[in-house]
Amino acid sequence: MREFAYQRAGDVAGAVAAFAAAPGARYLGGGTNLVDLMKSGVESPERLIDVRGLGLDAVEEDADGGLRIGATVTNSDLAAHPGVRRRYPALAQAVLAGASGQLRNAATVGGNLLQRVRCGYFTDVTLPCNRRVPGSGCPAVDGEHHNHAVLGWSEHCVAVHPSDLGVALAAFDAVVSYETGAGPGELAYAALYPPVGDTPHRETSLPPGALITAVSLPAAPVAARSRYRKVRERASYAFATASVAAALEVRDGVVHDVRLAFGAVASRPWRAHAAERALTGAPATARAFGAAADAELAAARPLPHNGYKVPLLRNLMVSVLTELAEEAAR
Amino acid sequence: MTAEPTRGPRRLTRAPRAAQGVGVSVARPDGTLKVTGEFAYASDMWHEDMLWGHTLRSPHAHARVLSIDIAAALAVPGVYAVLTHDDLPTSQTRYGLECLDTPVLADGVVRHHGEPVALVAADHPETARRAAARIAVDYEPLPVVHDEATALADDAPVLHPHRDDHHAPHVRHPNIVHRQPVRRGDPDAAAARADVIVTGTYTVGMQDQAFLGPESGLAVPAEDGGVDLYVATQWLHSDLRQIAPVLGLPEDKVRMTLSGVGGAFGGREDLSMQIHGCLLALRTGKPVKMVYDRFQSFFGHVHRHPATLWYEHGATREGLLTHMRCRIVLDGGAYASSSPAVVGNAASLSAGPYVVDHVDIEALALYTNNPPCGAMRGFGAVQACFAYESQMDKLAAELGLDPVEFRRRNAMSQGSRLPTGQVVDAPAPVAELLRRVKALPLPPERQWETAGAAPDVRALPGGLSNTTHGEGVVRGVGYAVGIKNVGFSEGFDDYSTARVRLEVAGGEPVATVHTAAAEVGQGGVTVQAQIVRTELGVQQVTIQPADTRVGSAGSTSASRQTYMTGGAVRHTCEAIRERVLALGRARFGGTHPAWEHAELLLEDGKVVTEAGEVLAALADVLDGQAIDIEQEFRHRPTQPFDRMTGQGFGHVQYSFAAHRAVVEVDTELGLVKVVELACAQDVGKAVNPQAVAGQIQGGTVQGLGLAVMEEILVGPDAKVRNPSFTDYLIPTILDTPTLPVDILELADHHAPYGLRGAGEAPTLSSTPAVVSAIRAATGRALTRVPVRPEHITDTP
Ligand SMILES: Cc1cc2nc3c(=O)[nH]c(=O)nc-3n(C[C@H](O)[C@H](O)[C@H](O)COP(=O)(O)OP(=O)(O)OC[C@H]3O[C@@H](n4cnc5c(N)ncnc54)[C@H](O)[C@@H]3O)c2cc1C
Ligand code: SF4
Repeated sequence: MREFAYQRAGDVAGAVAAFAAAPGARYLGGGTNLVDLMKSGVESPERLIDVRGLGLDAVEEDADGGLRIGATVTNSDLAAHPGVRRRYPALAQAVLAGASGQLRNAATVGGNLLQRVRCGYFTDVTLPCNRRVPGSGCPAVDGEHHNHAVLGWSEHCVAVHPSDLGVALAAFDAVVSYETGAGPGELAYAALYPPVGDTPHRETSLPPGALITAVSLPAAPVAARSRYRKVRERASYAFATASVAAALEVRDGVVHDVRLAFGAVASRPWRAHAAERALTGAPATARAFGAAADAELAAARPLPHNGYKVPLLRNLMVSVLTELAEEAAR
Repeated sequence: MTAEPTRGPRRLTRAPRAAQGVGVSVARPDGTLKVTGEFAYASDMWHEDMLWGHTLRSPHAHARVLSIDIAAALAVPGVYAVLTHDDLPTSQTRYGLECLDTPVLADGVVRHHGEPVALVAADHPETARRAAARIAVDYEPLPVVHDEATALADDAPVLHPHRDDHHAPHVRHPNIVHRQPVRRGDPDAAAARADVIVTGTYTVGMQDQAFLGPESGLAVPAEDGGVDLYVATQWLHSDLRQIAPVLGLPEDKVRMTLSGVGGAFGGREDLSMQIHGCLLALRTGKPVKMVYDRFQSFFGHVHRHPATLWYEHGATREGLLTHMRCRIVLDGGAYASSSPAVVGNAASLSAGPYVVDHVDIEALALYTNNPPCGAMRGFGAVQACFAYESQMDKLAAELGLDPVEFRRRNAMSQGSRLPTGQVVDAPAPVAELLRRVKALPLPPERQWETAGAAPDVRALPGGLSNTTHGEGVVRGVGYAVGIKNVGFSEGFDDYSTARVRLEVAGGEPVATVHTAAAEVGQGGVTVQAQIVRTELGVQQVTIQPADTRVGSAGSTSASRQTYMTGGAVRHTCEAIRERVLALGRARFGGTHPAWEHAELLLEDGKVVTEAGEVLAALADVLDGQAIDIEQEFRHRPTQPFDRMTGQGFGHVQYSFAAHRAVVEVDTELGLVKVVELACAQDVGKAVNPQAVAGQIQGGTVQGLGLAVMEEILVGPDAKVRNPSFTDYLIPTILDTPTLPVDILELADHHAPYGLRGAGEAPTLSSTPAVVSAIRAATGRALTRVPVRPEHITDTP
């Protein structure tokens, strides 16, 4: 680890100014990802600007049913918030499905969204990796990619975004608020991670130096009946091999509104638009759910060693929707 | 030193009675401390003025080291020393358990990812780390040997071109560490009699010991030019034997003391920081502490050999085995470690606990550029057990027989002959163990259902991920049984030493025990005290720290320490009792005829007759004198296996366990919930029943880990992909099923108290039982462990 300066910012403007003044700075949330990467040499910031004292640690409920989540709300607090549990149960479930209790106590919302990929080549600084060293190559394409992408990848990078929380945010049309020296800005969460293309090292669409201040969720009555399901290789404390966030509203046996997003299958949480389109107005049956999954997964391009993710995802989606539909019918 | 086996104890007509003695679940002294976080592990040691050592490791799996420039590292303020191969004090620069093939620091070539290249001592661990990062090493990558095909190719790079170990002349390719055939009977003729023949190729991934306490030690230079080393290890004297020569010191100038060990499972049988810490301490003249972080730890110890096992079995329609052929290829990685002994085990135990008269067996270990592999709980028998038990299921299915019934028909028993020709001369209750696990009531179906309320997802595959509420969930039940040798085999002079002192303090008789046996968490110190209480009838027993001031105790491995050091303590106690009785006779002989004629015991601080009549108080017999005896204890000798036929009395004792696994499988998502993993094991005598149950449960869970999640991923570039506990998965408590334990105690009369080494057997059959259950639920062949979701859903 290199030497670095550490600084606590007093307010948002101060944090952004401090960042602008120090090339090679990084914002520090809970540090649960950044500090690990500093130890392995993937990150070597000159300065850490701790953003936990900026007063961004509240969850506010809008009167119209939406939520505004401060960027430094811890994962634990987010999952425990009654408004979150009531309005977006899948969001609380997604957070609780991630990491461990100790990590969730430290990890922040902003940090969770900007956590880096868990690809073994990315974290081994002695190896090539386009995401870490642009143009150096992607050994995962022909190497270990058991838990890499099946959707939306390019041959330049096949890593998946590891966030669970982000999958629920993708399903519910979250909007990210940020601050830069030039003032505040907003970005649809769906646009936060640019397509990989040939620039996997460009991990976000945020302007340089942007500090995430909040994540807002628009009111979505459908989200009150929602579910997050995560498949992983042990019962706790493991990243997803596939996950689904789903919300479903059925009227007279017909899908009135549906939200679907997949995790651990693409370089960003994957909003399943094709499946949503196929389902809206369709009967709420397992058969229709399966057809919708097929519509979405038609675009899947599994790598030699991760084809299992496609049927896994299909089965996962059908089973989550079936369960939501049964509940709705009760 | 003689290799005469220790004579058996004089049989007493009745066992002495002792509170907190043998057979009682005495609480362990370290238990509360560990649970409350107060136990001092090796990583907690502190010395005024100490420096911190750090190891620079190779980022390459195979490379020539063209140059090492340490100038920038030395220039870092706070750095006291930077050492490379060139700084080693003597011409002996290699060490090893059996073959001296492991460089203390890379000498011109690195042969595996993570191989130590240079050392730094500095006044702060972070300073040492940073300085190490400034060492400039110029590597020229070399072609990598990573599997059998690349290792044994005609033009394969030879990893150890100048081998002079005693296996070298007998292997057909220099990248084979050791090869052991076992041949018996006429497999070809027997195969002709078979009604069914099944074959299979099985693969076992690389498992890590995953002990919680990382490699740690403190080396303190001494005024006499020697060094005192405090370290977490498994076998002090074996370390010493390897350390002293490379330091250029006589063994008596390297004094070792065991410090708090946080688990071992074989991973501490090889050296890690021992020599490095001593080198830095001797160079700087200051105490040096080294503690690996988790990343370093993954590179700092050997792992379980990954294996590919090809098997062929035949059976008659009556369900009797006709013959077996197998070929077991173990990946030993870059250095030999204990590969030769692992090969011996895999070969000699490859038939499992079954009677098969006609066999053709071959086991071998390779040198590759993969991480070095060596000892891990089960030691060669684990890999074989997964394969032969998979074969047993396949045969039973082929014959339309119940898998337990099929195993019963072929189970060995006392008097059976192993493929090595050795006759099993102690109870071998293989069929009985299977009968017992089978007879246990099955856990209720659909346990996740709760009256009216939401399902208890903890009982379902996917657990708290809430992936299913029971849809698509299929139950499977599977059985397996295994055989493990106990103690060091193949003619090794296996012994332990115990020193016991009996004296009177404050009017009470007290005993002190001194051995070099490493307490690694198994409960050895508890058992030693129990034995002394039983044998000497004293309540107060002090166990001294394990160190090298007393003779070797041998390794805390091979399930041997209760047998061997327990045996040594008992043996020494007997000598003390004889001395006490001699003193008593001299002092009080005339006062009671029993002194001369009856069998006398020490109980409750007194000399008593069998009938319990008190003859004298120990305090009066000793009368201020102390009795202090150190003795060695040996098990009966074994023989090396014949190099061509594998015949020989190779193992001193066998231990058997059987498992029944009950799993619920989400067949759509490929997720497994092991709901119950029951084990029946014969331990001969449960010296401490609770500790035995703990060993069985721990071993069972380690086997479960291998079955469904634990694997070090090594790519074709021979580099480790997941050196962290985030990416190397071990079972958490949520993955741990109910673990019913049934302990059988059929005495082995060759062993102290009739006991049988217990630590490893439960690790063997756990894995195949779980996989068998998953097969039963899914109908999939599942020939590889760990089983992953894609194997269950049969997608690539
Ligand atoms: C063992 C382990 C298991 C895990 N398992 C899971 C899992 O199953 N599911 C899952 O989703 N996650 C998992 N995680 C990841 C964990 O959720 C993230 O590490 C965590 O959410 C990151 O939050 P943080 O506040 O600690 O971020 P930090 O480490 O502080 O920061 C991460 C990145 O975000 C940047 N950053 C932080 N805050 C801001 C801000 N306000 N504005 C702009 N940039 C910012 C930092 O500069 C840095 O680049 C796991 C982590 C570990 C260590
Ligand atoms: S998949 Fe992406 S992160 Fe992994 S090696 Fe390739 S470029 Fe790097």
